[in-house]
Amino acid sequence: MSGKSKRFLSNTVIYILLIIVFIFAMFPVFYTLMGSFKSNQELLAGGTNIIPKDFVLENYTDAWRLGNFKQYTFNSIFMSTFIVIGSIITSTTAGYVFERGEFKYKNVIFAMVISSMFVSLGSLTLYPTLMIAKAMHINKTLWGVIIIRVFGLNVTNLFISRSYIQSISREIDEAAKIDGCSFFGIFTRIIFPLCKPLIATLGILEFRASWNDYMLPLVFTLSSPERMPLVVGVVNLKTTGEAASSWNLMLAGASLAMIPMIIIYIIFNRYFIEGLTTGAVKG
Amino acid sequence: MNAGNSASPVAGKKKKNRFSSDSRQAVIMLAPMLVGFALFTYVPIFYILRYCMFYYNGFKSSFTGLDNFVRVFTRDPKFWMSIVNTFILSGCKLLIEIPLALMLAVLLNKALKGTNFFRVTLFLPAIMSTAIIGLIFSLMFAAYQGVINNILMQVGLINAPINWFGEKWTAMSVIGIASVWNYFGINMIFFLMALQSVPKDLYECADIDGITPMRKFFSITLPMIGPIFQVVLLMAIVGSLKVSDLVLVLTNGQPGGSTEVVMTYVFKSFFGRDNRSVEIGYASAMSIITGIILAIVSYIYMRMTRKMNENT
Repeated sequence: MSGKSKRFLSNTVIYILLIIVFIFAMFPVFYTLMGSFKSNQELLAGGTNIIPKDFVLENYTDAWRLGNFKQYTFNSIFMSTFIVIGSIITSTTAGYVFERGEFKYKNVIFAMVISSMFVSLGSLTLYPTLMIAKAMHINKTLWGVIIIRVFGLNVTNLFISRSYIQSISREIDEAAKIDGCSFFGIFTRIIFPLCKPLIATLGILEFRASWNDYMLPLVFTLSSPERMPLVVGVVNLKTTGEAASSWNLMLAGASLAMIPMIIIYIIFNRYFIEGLTTGAVKG
Repeated sequence: MNAGNSASPVAGKKKKNRFSSDSRQAVIMLAPMLVGFALFTYVPIFYILRYCMFYYNGFKSSFTGLDNFVRVFTRDPKFWMSIVNTFILSGCKLLIEIPLALMLAVLLNKALKGTNFFRVTLFLPAIMSTAIIGLIFSLMFAAYQGVINNILMQVGLINAPINWFGEKWTAMSVIGIASVWNYFGINMIFFLMALQSVPKDLYECADIDGITPMRKFFSITLPMIGPIFQVVLLMAIVGSLKVSDLVLVLTNGQPGGSTEVVMTYVFKSFFGRDNRSVEIGYASAMSIITGIILAIVSYIYMRMTRKMNENT
């Protein structure tokens, strides 16, 4: 066999493998999006066709009107917006202070923040966190989730911010300092405006984390369903035992939760991939 | 304030003032985050350390010493089953996920046409909400009219619908598949980044020597990406040992608590979900033991990789 036909053969095998994985990766998303446009009769009848016979919007309108989804969607947007804006401010500030600031015990404090990664117990600290929120009287609303996410110093975000600000030349702040600019002024007037790519990355990471979050908003809204964000509200349909009768609502709700994410991913996929990987490797 | 023994007292004083006001500003800027960090990261851990010695159901608390720990070790086989489940699930899942991710990364690194398309689409599952993924997979694998059963029956692989969530091992398999689906993309990107940092001339030398692609992979690629591979694997191991929301949504421990993983088991004790009584003290004790087990796993892993690095 000549080299050329051999290469053609091996490339064909590669493409076949990639297409199999592609189908595996896309099937659940495609199934959900398509299922959300099926009529209720078609969903109940089952069958193997993925693409609906007629595209109907009734699942979405039902979910919007009957299933509280208008409220859930609003809650999700509300929560994500504040978390994204808030954590951009706190992460860049913390990154700036740890990179450029000079004060006593800076390195000790930084080491304590970093080492928290190793003592993290995941969802096991949710209960004590909720109790702390209760003591502060912020446990009944999504503000509790927002405050925890914004002020609870995310180590990954801190790493990304610090290393980005490290790459900005120190000569710029020296010049500003000579002109009489204070430490705080240098941040707001010079460093922060130079951080646009960092802000994009942080914003996307935080949007993904807050829009998709389940456990933390779940425990903050256990007793008040009208405050649930979209993800918690949709999953709640399954756990409340009406599962069999609400496939249409679950599919529409899951799609509502996925679509904004997919759209933002399609537009900003480069930032997405970079943000998730650089953050994780450095962390 | 005394300006000290500076040669020109005025300039020295001014400099010192400037410096201290800058560092005061730095501390003030950082203070809200430090308070939040201490409150939401360290205080919960102290809370758990305190209550592990207590009986506490949210209303009444009484000191019980080491009773909670005795109970974990002697009278709670379900906790240990959840630990075993966590390890089985993580082990099986990673045995599929890591080689799959590595294979895809090698294929995508060949710079064929359409590589970028596959890179973007195969990463898509990684941006989804894990809870929503749990919901979608529970619908797809539903026993009655689930799309997976229908397809398998159409193709003729099975005659009757499988009750995926009715038995422990089929339910665990579904959790594993959903988890692989969720995470293979991010590991693929890590490996792809590592591969792109391997110098091209190494492969050119190998080509001149006429080395087979298999040998090339094991003798050049793997050793070159070794350090990143080790970090990625550690993160994947710790991440999958901490799985909670996926299991909570997908099976919720059903059937009969047999698919419970440690995070969901302890979570339910804290909040008294699923008809369990609220036992905060006992859940705290379980949290501490879980934390220690996690730490031991990471420690053993790091020791092993260090040894491996010394030998090569």
